[in-house]
Amino acid sequence: MSSVESKVAAPTTSRRRVLKLGLAGGALLLLGGSGLALYPPSRAGGAPTAPLLALDGRAFQVLVAVAARIVTAAGADPVAIAHGVDRALSYALAETQSDVRALLGLFENALAGFVFDLRLTPFTRLSPSAQDAALESWRTSRLVVRRTGYQALRKLCLASFYVQESSWPELRYAPPSGLNAAAYDDPEIGTPEWIEAQNKVRGS
Amino acid sequence: MRSLKTIRAGAGVLDGSAQAADVTLDADICIIGTGAGGAVAASIFARSGKTVVLLEEGGYYTSADFTARERDTEPRLYQEGMTRTTKDAGISVLQGKAVGGTTVVNWTTSFRTPEDVVDHWHKKHAVGGFAYADLIPHYEAIERRLAIAKVPYDSLNANNRTLYDGCKKLGWEVDTLRRNVFGCLQSGFCHLGCPVNAKRSMLVTMIPDALDAGARLLFRARADKLERAGGAIARVRGTLLDAEGRSATGKSFTVTARRFIVSGGAINSPALLLRSGLDSGGLVGARTFLHPVIGSSALYDEPIEPQRGAPQSAASHHFAHRGDEMGFFLEAAPWYPGLASTAAPGYGSSHADFMRQVAHTATHIAIGIDGFHDDLPGGRVTLRSSGAPLLDYAITPKMWSAFRFAQKRLAEAQFASGARKVMTLHERPVVLEGKLDEAAIDAARWEIGCVPVFTAHQMGGCPMGDDPAVSVVRSSDLRHHTIENLHVIDGSVFPTSLGVNPQESIYGLSHLMASRIAASK
Repeated sequence: MSSVESKVAAPTTSRRRVLKLGLAGGALLLLGGSGLALYPPSRAGGAPTAPLLALDGRAFQVLVAVAARIVTAAGADPVAIAHGVDRALSYALAETQSDVRALLGLFENALAGFVFDLRLTPFTRLSPSAQDAALESWRTSRLVVRRTGYQALRKLCLASFYVQESSWPELRYAPPSGLNAAAYDDPEIGTPEWIEAQNKVRGS
Repeated sequence: MRSLKTIRAGAGVLDGSAQAADVTLDADICIIGTGAGGAVAASIFARSGKTVVLLEEGGYYTSADFTARERDTEPRLYQEGMTRTTKDAGISVLQGKAVGGTTVVNWTTSFRTPEDVVDHWHKKHAVGGFAYADLIPHYEAIERRLAIAKVPYDSLNANNRTLYDGCKKLGWEVDTLRRNVFGCLQSGFCHLGCPVNAKRSMLVTMIPDALDAGARLLFRARADKLERAGGAIARVRGTLLDAEGRSATGKSFTVTARRFIVSGGAINSPALLLRSGLDSGGLVGARTFLHPVIGSSALYDEPIEPQRGAPQSAASHHFAHRGDEMGFFLEAAPWYPGLASTAAPGYGSSHADFMRQVAHTATHIAIGIDGFHDDLPGGRVTLRSSGAPLLDYAITPKMWSAFRFAQKRLAEAQFASGARKVMTLHERPVVLEGKLDEAAIDAARWEIGCVPVFTAHQMGGCPMGDDPAVSVVRSSDLRHHTIENLHVIDGSVFPTSLGVNPQESIYGLSHLMASRIAASK
């Protein structure tokens, strides 16, 4: 835990404390929202390969870097994962989309990185091991907003990967296709009247 | 024979996304929301000869769209594209959004409201408008229409059987469940919309019944505000959405009616009332309950394949009543890769290792029963600046305490049924090899963001009762206390949570209340 966090967080998290941290979280997200513009694109690449639906190019690039560390299963493609997250977010509220963009800005923001972890390098420019250390700092933080922020990005990236068929053989998961071709079309099926009618048909 | 496809293509079905101009409709009764509450009411009103307009924000998806693929279905069938959470992001909220509402995506578990819960409402929440016996014929009618029946032990998949067997060995109360299915192929994809229409959801029963009886349905239509004229609601205004429900088309709708039924479900119904300036002195939105859930995963030598078979078919209510402590009940949860990946702990290689074990992993859940203790008051729905709902729900110390206790009981049941290893779903999981270690579970980090908590049962926010000082609608017909032509018929009227999966409670109450309203004039 960083020295800043030790001043912010109490040993036990009461409801009042959570609310205070929530407010602090709002301020943090504002910082994140402004942070992306402060830095040039990283050397890491990660440009989108299709039009974006919810994210902007800078946030997408940070997300690609995060996804590369979150999802290390065989066959994982960080750019494809980030596009999946972008698509999923397109169904979310505008407020949620904005929060995620700001959250990604906070991940990248060097000022935030310095305040929390005493690092000045943006996330996308860190080495993989340093990126893992940054993730670990968010994951184990005493600040609710950092832990839930980490969880949001973690879940979005993992779900984006594991809804893809390419991830399923590793899990021995193979859902059937075309079940719906045999869907029942009669809204009455299963009622006592329907069963009685079926029995009459069979009996006649 | 009637045909779902023919009904879906009927002239009474209007796609809001396809409208080239603003839409204006008029009816005797306008019902906002097509889930368990609204669909049952619509069927009864339409068959009683009333003209009915149904409004639905979600899409009118059918079995043709239900591909058993999460990517195709979850963003479309769940509120906020399955990203809804509580305000502090402590609880993930799974709630349906489609014609048929949550009934399209639920796991088919069907319970009548426990009689002791209704007694509690009578005694503690001034619910005097109906006796438990009044509900019985309505449950029976629903059970016939939806083919609700108890499943035999032999049909339990391994995920549910391990829970059942573990509870039995420990001497705990446990039973197989009743489900609203007929001709079920046990494909296991209830959560993604039934691909074969075996699930008797509102989508394939009461909605077609209502449409067949002349009701009209406008979908991709988000109700923004109820407008008053004098002491009554005159109209509802709203926004038409594009085909994916992601943005407004620029067109709007207006529905005038003699009576309005709000059936958007807990969270959305209170939000509509709040947007309409109807806060009932701060009562609307308060006492929103979630049945908050934690899970436990267990590794077995035998294959579990938790995605196959009926997702839920066994439950234990052994710990439902715990005096001053929060009660909970135990059920099983299916694992689809996307959903499972978000519950599985960690990231990187440790997460990938966890996922590779899914085929041998059973997941059982403890579902907290909130609303029956003064220090479990539920959450409050408020409005975001955009008007969308925002639920502030605190996980209280009593709830965390119950979660710790429940986590131990889940582990006990899993070991009793032969689990080799039990893992909590904490971000840093407690891994128990062969036996329960209560101290290790106590020592885990029980805080928001350290352990996943989710809800699939949303209740309350517009409580019924006969005292306007503590309730929003009266309990005899769910009519608003001060607005004579406004009713709320959905899970938001429950004064507490239920202690059981809620769908049949909503069906039964809606059937009773809509029958009373239809007979009243």
